[in-house]
Amino acid sequence: MSIILKTMNVEKYYGNKGNLTRALAGVSFDVREGEYVGVMGASGSGKTTLLNCISTIDTVSAGHIIIGGEDITEMGHKSLAGFRREKLGFIFQDFNLLDTLTVYENIALALTIRKRPAREIDRRVKEVADILDISDTLRKYPYQISGGQKQRVAGARALITDPTLILADEPTGALDSKSAKALLESFRRLVREKNATILMVTHDAFAAGHCDRILFIRDGKLFHQLTRGNDSGKLFFDKIIEVISLLGGDTNDVR
Amino acid sequence: MMSVKLAFRNVRKCMRDYTIYFLTLTLGVCIFYAFNSIDSQQAVMEMSSGQSSALRMLARIIGTFSVFVSFILAFLILYANGFLIKRRKKEFGLYMIMGMGKWMTSRILMWEALLVGALSLIMGLALGIFMSQGMAVVTAKLLGAGLGSFRFIFSSQALIKTLGCFGLAFALSLIFNIAVVQKQKLIDLLYAAKKNEYFKAPRPAISVLIFTAALCCLGLAYKIVLSDGFIMLLNTIYIPVALGAVGTFLFFFSLSGFFLRLLQQSRGLYLKNLNMFVLRQINGKINTAYVSMTLVCLMLFISICTLSSGMGLAEALTTEMRENAPFDATFSVRTEYEAASDTYSGIDTAAAVSGRGAGLSAFAAEYVAARYYVADATITLYFDGSETIVPPNFMKLSDYNAVLALQGLEPIALGPDEYALNCNMNTREWQDMLRDYASSGAEFEIAGRRLVTDPSKLFTRTLEVSPNKEFAVAAVVPDELLAGAPVKKDFLHINYPEEGGEYESMCVSALIGFEPVGPDGVQLDGGLETRVRVLEYTHSATTTIAYIAIYLGVVSLLLAATVLAIGQLSEAGDNAERYGLLRRIGAEDSMINAALFTQILVCFGAPALLALVHAAVGIRVASGVVSAFAEMNIFGSSFIAALVIVAIYGAYFLATYFGSKSIVSISARGGFRNE
Ligand SMILES: Nc1ncnc2c1ncn2[C@@H]1O[C@H](COP(=O)(O)OP(=O)(O)OP(=O)(O)O)[C@@H](O)[C@H]1O
Ligand SMILES: [Mg+2]
Repeated sequence: MSIILKTMNVEKYYGNKGNLTRALAGVSFDVREGEYVGVMGASGSGKTTLLNCISTIDTVSAGHIIIGGEDITEMGHKSLAGFRREKLGFIFQDFNLLDTLTVYENIALALTIRKRPAREIDRRVKEVADILDISDTLRKYPYQISGGQKQRVAGARALITDPTLILADEPTGALDSKSAKALLESFRRLVREKNATILMVTHDAFAAGHCDRILFIRDGKLFHQLTRGNDSGKLFFDKIIEVISLLGGDTNDVR
Repeated sequence: MMSVKLAFRNVRKCMRDYTIYFLTLTLGVCIFYAFNSIDSQQAVMEMSSGQSSALRMLARIIGTFSVFVSFILAFLILYANGFLIKRRKKEFGLYMIMGMGKWMTSRILMWEALLVGALSLIMGLALGIFMSQGMAVVTAKLLGAGLGSFRFIFSSQALIKTLGCFGLAFALSLIFNIAVVQKQKLIDLLYAAKKNEYFKAPRPAISVLIFTAALCCLGLAYKIVLSDGFIMLLNTIYIPVALGAVGTFLFFFSLSGFFLRLLQQSRGLYLKNLNMFVLRQINGKINTAYVSMTLVCLMLFISICTLSSGMGLAEALTTEMRENAPFDATFSVRTEYEAASDTYSGIDTAAAVSGRGAGLSAFAAEYVAARYYVADATITLYFDGSETIVPPNFMKLSDYNAVLALQGLEPIALGPDEYALNCNMNTREWQDMLRDYASSGAEFEIAGRRLVTDPSKLFTRTLEVSPNKEFAVAAVVPDELLAGAPVKKDFLHINYPEEGGEYESMCVSALIGFEPVGPDGVQLDGGLETRVRVLEYTHSATTTIAYIAIYLGVVSLLLAATVLAIGQLSEAGDNAERYGLLRRIGAEDSMINAALFTQILVCFGAPALLALVHAAVGIRVASGVVSAFAEMNIFGSSFIAALVIVAIYGAYFLATYFGSKSIVSISARGGFRNE
C-alpha cells in the first residue's frame, strides 16, 4: 500500500525572540493508505499543533510534510486552499454543524461548496449516511439529534468529499462512552469499506484502542509507537495504558 | 487617566461596530440642525416683509415638527446604543474579572459615550452648518426672494436646540448603559455572548398559502385604490390601508418560507454553492424579524411618498400659481348686501380709484374694467355620473376680449346666437366634463334669446389675479343680452409700467382697504390682489410643504435604515460562528463574502422593493388628488427623492455589509482549536 502522509523532521516554534515555545521538535512518521492512526500525548505536547501543520492551516518552521506525493510545505497560499479543499477532510471536537441547516444539507454543503453537480450530491449523501448509520436523521435539524449522531454527521461531511486523508482532533471529546463507541465503530467501517485514511488525536485510551497504530508524542517529539498487529483488543488496550503511564503518569487522561 | 485611555482605545477598536451609531447620530444631528436653522437664513436673503413673515412661519412649523423628530432621533440613539451594549457585555465582564469595579467600568463607558457623542456631534454640526448654507439658496429660490451677498450663516439657537436634544439623548443612553453594568451579575455578562437565540425551524407548506393570501390582500388594496380614485377614498381610505398593512405583514411573514419551498423544488439551484445556506440564513432572519421588516417597509413607503409627492406638489403649485396672476393687480368691488344684489348696477371702478393716493395713472400703465353679471341660467355638468349644477358668471363679449387683450391674447368672436365658456381649471378632468357638456350642444335662454355653444367655444383663460384657484366658469355672451342685468362683481385689472417694488407699493397703499361708496351711498366691499402677493402666498405654501416633506421623509428613512442595519448587525455574532464554520469546512473567501452580501442585500432589498411598489401606487393616487387642481409632474421630484433615498439607504447598506464582514472574518479563522 502506498504512503499517503509522510512527515520529515517537522519543527514548529511559536512566539518571538523573547519567549519561544517549541511546540514540535522534529517529528517524523509515515501513514499508509487505508490506515487508522491515533495520536496520543499529554496536554500541551503538541498534538493539535501537529494536526494544524498537516492540515496546512499552520505552516511548519522546519521540515517537510508530504501528502499524496505533494510537499505541502513548498506550496503557495492559493494552491494550499485548493489542496485543503480537495484532499483533506476535517472532524472537530465541537461538532461544528450549522444549526440552520438539516442534517442532509449539512452533509451536502461540503459538496456544494466544491461545486459538484446536484444529482451526484444527492446520491453521495445517501450513500455516506448509510455507512455512518444516520439515514434516519437526514431530515432533522442538529438540535434534534444526539451528540454522537452530530459527530457522525460531521464525519459524513468530512468523508463525502473522498479526501485522501481525514484529520480528527478529539472527535470523541464531547461524547459519552456509548456515543463514542458508535462513532468509533463507524470510523472503523469507513476504513474497512471505503479504504479511508484517518489520523485521529485522542486522550482516550479506549478510543485509541480502535486504531491500527498509535503515535505517542511527548514535548513535541515522537516518543513511542504501538501497532495492533494481531493483538486482541484487550492486549492492545493494556499496552496503551502502559505507555500512557510511562508518558508521565498522567492517568487522569485515561477514562 | 486610565479610563479615558481605555475608552479611547475601545472606540478605536470598535470603530466598525460604532459605524452605524455614528452614521445615525451624524445624519440626525446634521438634519436637525439644518432644518432648525432656517430662521437665520434670512441673513443672506433680500426679502419683503411678507416673505420674511412666511419664513418665520415656516420656522415655527418646523419647530413644532422637531419635537416629534427629536423623539424619533432619541429613540434611534437609544436603540443603536442598546445594540452596542449587548455586543459588549462580555467585555465588561472581563473588566470586572480583572478586578475593575463597577464604577470604574461605568466611568469607561461614560468617557466612551462622551467621545463618540462629541465626535458625531461635531461631525453632524459641521455637516449641518455646511448644509444650511446650501439650503439658504434653495429657500430663497422657493420663497422667490433674492440672494444678497454671501454671508456665513450660523444659528446659535439651532445649535443650542441640537445640543439640548442630543445631549439629553446621550445622557439617557448613558444612564441606561450604567444601569446595565451596575445591575448585571458577572456570570451573565460573561456568558451573554454565548446565549444564542433558540433556532426556529421554518414553517411547513403553509407559508405558500400565506404568501398567496398576502399577494391577494395587496392586489385587492391596489385595485381599490387605483380604481376608486380619490373622491371615494376620502371616506373609505382605511379599507385599502388596512388591507395593505395586513398584506405587507403576511408578505414578510411568509416570504422566505415561500422562496425556500420554491427553490427546494429546483435541486440544481438549491444544491449550488452556498445557496441553501444563504436561503436558510435569510429564512431564519426574516422568521424572527418579520415585524420589524413590515415596519421598515411601511416607513420606507412613507418616506418615498412624502419625499417625491411633497416636492412634486410644491413644484406643481409654483407653476400653477404663475398662471394665476395674469396681471400685476386686480381690484374687485361688490356689494355687501344680499338684498341689493338684484338691482345692483355696479360702479365705475377706474373713476373711483383715480381719487386714491397718487392716482391710478401713477402706477397703472394700462388697465381694463370688466364685470360679472348675474343671469337666470345655469349649466349642468356630470362628474362620475352625478349631476352638478353650476351657475356661471356672465360676461359681456367686449369685457372678455378686453381682459384677454390685457394679457396679450387674441380676442374671440361669437355669432349672435352663440355663447362661449371659460373655465379657469385646465386640468384634464374639468376640461373633459366641460367638453362633454359643450359637445352635447347644450343651450340656454337669456333675455329671451336661445344661445348654443360647441367645443370650439371652450376656453381656459385666467380672468383675474387670485391667490387660490377655485373652480369658476364664465359664460361669455353677446354684449346686448346683458344690458341692464344686475352686476355681481366689478373688476379693475391693472398692469404696471414695469415690474418693480415702487409701483407695487404705490398700488398697495392706494387700494388696500379701499371700500368705495356705491351709487346709492351704500358701502361696497373692495379687495385687492397683486401678482407679487399671490406669488408670496404660493411660495410660502410650497416651501412649507417641500421642507416638511423632506424633513419627515428623511427622518423616517433614517429610522427604517437604522432599524434594519442594527437588526442585521446584532445577528452578525451568531452569523460569525456559522460563517467561520463554512471556512473551516473549506468554503472559499469569495464564496463566503458573496453569501454574506446576498444575505444583507435581500434583507435590505426586500422591504425596499415592496415599499417601491406601494409607493408607485400611492404616488399615482396622490398625483390624482393633486391633479384635481394642478398638473403634477412627479418625475423630476421622484428622481431627486430617489437620489436622496439611494444615498442614505445605500450608506446604511454598505456600513452594514462591511460591519458584518469584519465581525464575521474576526472569528472565522479555520483550523483545529483547543476548546
Ligand atoms: N498559537 C499559539 N501561540 C503560541 N503558543 C502556542 C500556540 N498554540 C499552541 N501553543 C503552544 O504549543 C504547545 C503545544 O500546544 P498544542 O495545542 O499542540 O497541545 P495539545 O497537545 O493539543 O494539548 P491538549 O491535549 O491540551 O489539546 C503548548 O505549549 C502551547 O502552549
Ligand atoms: Mg489539542
